[in-house]
Amino acid sequence: MKLFTHYSRINILASVLALVVGSIGYYFIIRTILIHQLDDTLEVEEAEILSHVGLKDQLPEPANYRDQQISFTPAQAPGDRRFINIIRPDSFYHNERRPFRQLIFSVRVGGQMYTATVSKSEEETKELEKWIMLVTAGMILLLLGILYLANRLLMRRLWQPFYQTLEGLRGFNLASHDPLTYTPTSIREFRSLQQVVEQMTRQIGRDYEMLKAFADNASHEMQTPLAIINSKLDLMIQDQGLEERHLHQLQAMYDAISRLRQLNQSLLLLTKIGNYQFQQEEPVALESLIEKKLGQLEDLIKDKHIAVSTDLQPCRLQMNAYLSDILLSNLLTNAIRHNYDKGAIRIGLKQDLLLISNTGEPLSFDPTTIFDRFTKSAHSEGTGLGLAIVRQICDNYGFSLAYINEEGWHTIRIGFSSLEV
Amino acid sequence: MKLLIVEDEKALSDSISNYLEQESFVCDQAESYAGALEKIEQHDYDCILLDINLQDGNGLELLKTLKSNHKGDGVLIISARNSLEDKVSGLKLGADDYLSKPFHLSELGARVAAIIRRRHAAGSNLIRLEETLIDIQARSVSVHGRVLDLTRKEYQLLLYFAYNKGRVVSKNAIAEHLWGDDSGGADNYDFIYTHIKNLRRKLVEAGAGDYIQSVYGMGYKLMLP
Repeated sequence: MKLFTHYSRINILASVLALVVGSIGYYFIIRTILIHQLDDTLEVEEAEILSHVGLKDQLPEPANYRDQQISFTPAQAPGDRRFINIIRPDSFYHNERRPFRQLIFSVRVGGQMYTATVSKSEEETKELEKWIMLVTAGMILLLLGILYLANRLLMRRLWQPFYQTLEGLRGFNLASHDPLTYTPTSIREFRSLQQVVEQMTRQIGRDYEMLKAFADNASHEMQTPLAIINSKLDLMIQDQGLEERHLHQLQAMYDAISRLRQLNQSLLLLTKIGNYQFQQEEPVALESLIEKKLGQLEDLIKDKHIAVSTDLQPCRLQMNAYLSDILLSNLLTNAIRHNYDKGAIRIGLKQDLLLISNTGEPLSFDPTTIFDRFTKSAHSEGTGLGLAIVRQICDNYGFSLAYINEEGWHTIRIGFSSLEV
Repeated sequence: MKLLIVEDEKALSDSISNYLEQESFVCDQAESYAGALEKIEQHDYDCILLDINLQDGNGLELLKTLKSNHKGDGVLIISARNSLEDKVSGLKLGADDYLSKPFHLSELGARVAAIIRRRHAAGSNLIRLEETLIDIQARSVSVHGRVLDLTRKEYQLLLYFAYNKGRVVSKNAIAEHLWGDDSGGADNYDFIYTHIKNLRRKLVEAGAGDYIQSVYGMGYKLMLP
């Protein structure tokens, strides 16, 4: 639920409750005042009757007017003076039953007790009450309406900085280095929120940069020691006194250094691609690039006696030439490396689709992690970064990337149309 | 032939010096920007091996100084940063070649030899290995004046051996020289053997001596008598 809805609900509920309770109280107060006024009039009448009796020692004429009736009835004993409310037929209104206020008191005229009843119709009072209540209800509705609208408007405006901050956070992207921008607000809470968010994102950005720089520096710093080891090995194998068993060990060292070198290069490349450091783009004819790559890899393919079949249709891509080279290199060397001896590779290329399939052992790991860093089969001597680089390149260009395993064929499928899901 | 090795890692500098001196190069070593500057002012070198990440200065500045003094020294940049920008700016400033660490000494030897040949032995595009003649301009190899029909890889192999003659070249170095990054896709370097076997066969059939020796399956050496 939105904050505004939540707030409005509580606010309006409380307002309605207060207004209802208030209205009930208001009604009773108004009614009491009006009845009191009516009673005053009745008492004035009583005083007039009593003074009439006092002066003339006889009852005045009973009166029967629309707004006031006076009647006398003989009584045995004096009764209590009292005000009552009764509902009785009103002769002026076709004997409809209507509310009256009556003052009943005793009067003695020449030894005879009479009970005097002065009645006044409450009709006018009721009417007045009705109007007062109607006007009050109207005011309440108006108040609630204005309250709602004012809240709505105010909340929108007041919370504007908050929503802006939220929107900024939602669009926050570490890689793009865009700082979160704010329109300054005078509300202290939002200002501190903005400050905290800004500090936090700045810190995250700094940490991210440092982490990247660390990976970059670590990889670079490793190059020189590797160069030293490699050069010492190169010198060592010149030694004529070496025996075959030594050379086997040296070969193992060479191979290990080669792997380290490739690992380092791949890590650096991954960082660079992630940083969009390959900006320059040009039209790349993928079909001819595939042919060229297959030519370069001919020795590796022949060495494993792999049969390669291709179905290449023209495909032009606007991308960095180096990255397109790396993309195909990684895919093809993978297809060779993880193939059987006398295995097969199928390459299919259409305007918007590249399929590279190879035969090979079933995966020894979860296929969903195939494009993750350092995912590789236990016996592989690869870096485990080849397909991670492929994914990074595809991510950069908005290509779709999928791994499919069917009937012993491992297929990597790349969709070049960015509209494709 | 006189070389200057500008490298602040003594161990690496020593290795390079040691390896290249076997090929009758005279090697001077400088471990700092200042030291290198001094040596460059005092001597002329056929080739300078320049590490651009020095403790006390950028090697590219050294290159600028060198070129503004109109020195004819060849320059091979060595860098721990395999960055395209460094490479491009280095070559723009007049460096002859760029090699990123780690490298094989045989690769370095080949690059240095190529630079020196291009810069100094003007007109001499020929490398003679006894009765075999490599014509670099024409990219051809002839034995007793008869041109051999070599594949591109076989030609590159022979040239690589020629630049590193008398020294053992590891299979890893050969694979990286001929196949570059693609060599990483191989489980082993057996495929090199095929090319070397064919090259040796073609040379011997044409009447040349069998100078390429295998060294316990880990590398090869071109040994002239």
